[in-house]
Amino acid sequence: MKNTIRVERAILNITQAELAEKVHVSRQTINAIESNKYIPSTVLALKIARVFQKQVGEIFTLEEGD
Amino acid sequence: MKTRFLFPHKYRLVGWVLTIPSFILMLLVLHADFRLSFLEYGRKGKFQFDGESFLFNIHRHNFTDEVGSLLLITGLLMIAFSREKEEDERTVKLRLESLLWAVYVNSAWMMFSIIFFYDTLFANIMTYNICTPLILFIARFNFVMYKERRTLKNAGL
Repeated sequence: MKNTIRVERAILNITQAELAEKVHVSRQTINAIESNKYIPSTVLALKIARVFQKQVGEIFTLEEGD
Repeated sequence: MKTRFLFPHKYRLVGWVLTIPSFILMLLVLHADFRLSFLEYGRKGKFQFDGESFLFNIHRHNFTDEVGSLLLITGLLMIAFSREKEEDERTVKLRLESLLWAVYVNSAWMMFSIIFFYDTLFANIMTYNICTPLILFIARFNFVMYKERRTLKNAGL
C-alpha cells in the first residue's frame, strides 16, 4: 500500500509532528507510514484522511501484490 | 489510545525499583547460597521428611528464594508491560512482535540447553528461565523503540 501523506502535508504545510498530534499518534508512527514501513489501521487512515479533508482512497492506494 | 492488559506508564519505574534489588538477591541466593534469616520458617515438633514438598507440608524452609523470585517476576512484569508515554497502535504492534521474538529466542535457547547441558548446570539454567523470557522481551522491545527514536532523530525532525 502506498500513500500520498508527504504530498498532502506539503499542501497543508504541516510537519510530521503536527500531523501526529492531530491524529493522536507518535511522530515515529507518521514517519513509518510515510516511508511505507507501517500500514495504519482503518481508524487511523480515516483520521488522517479527515485532516486532509479527502477520501481515504485518495490518500492510500493499493499496490501490486497487496 | 485504549490498550488492554497494560499497566500505567509510571509503573515502569516501580518495576525497576523492585527488579534491581530482587535480581541481585536472586543471584546471591543461586550462586552464594545467601539466605535472609528473618525468612526462616520452622514448624515445632520433630522434623520428619514426608516427601511431599507442598506448602502445607513443609516443616522447615527458608523463603528467601520464594520472596525474591516473586518480587523479581512482579518487577519484570511492570517494566515489560507498562504503557509507553506515547502509546499508539504501532507501539502495540512492535510490542507484540518483540514478545513473539522473545518467546522464539527463549525456546531456541531452551532446546539448546536441553541438548548440551546436564545436571546442576541445567538446573541453574532452568532457574534463570524463570525470568529470561521477560528479560529478552524487555531488551528487544526497548531496542526496537530506541531504534525508532534514532531514525526519527536522523531524519532531522
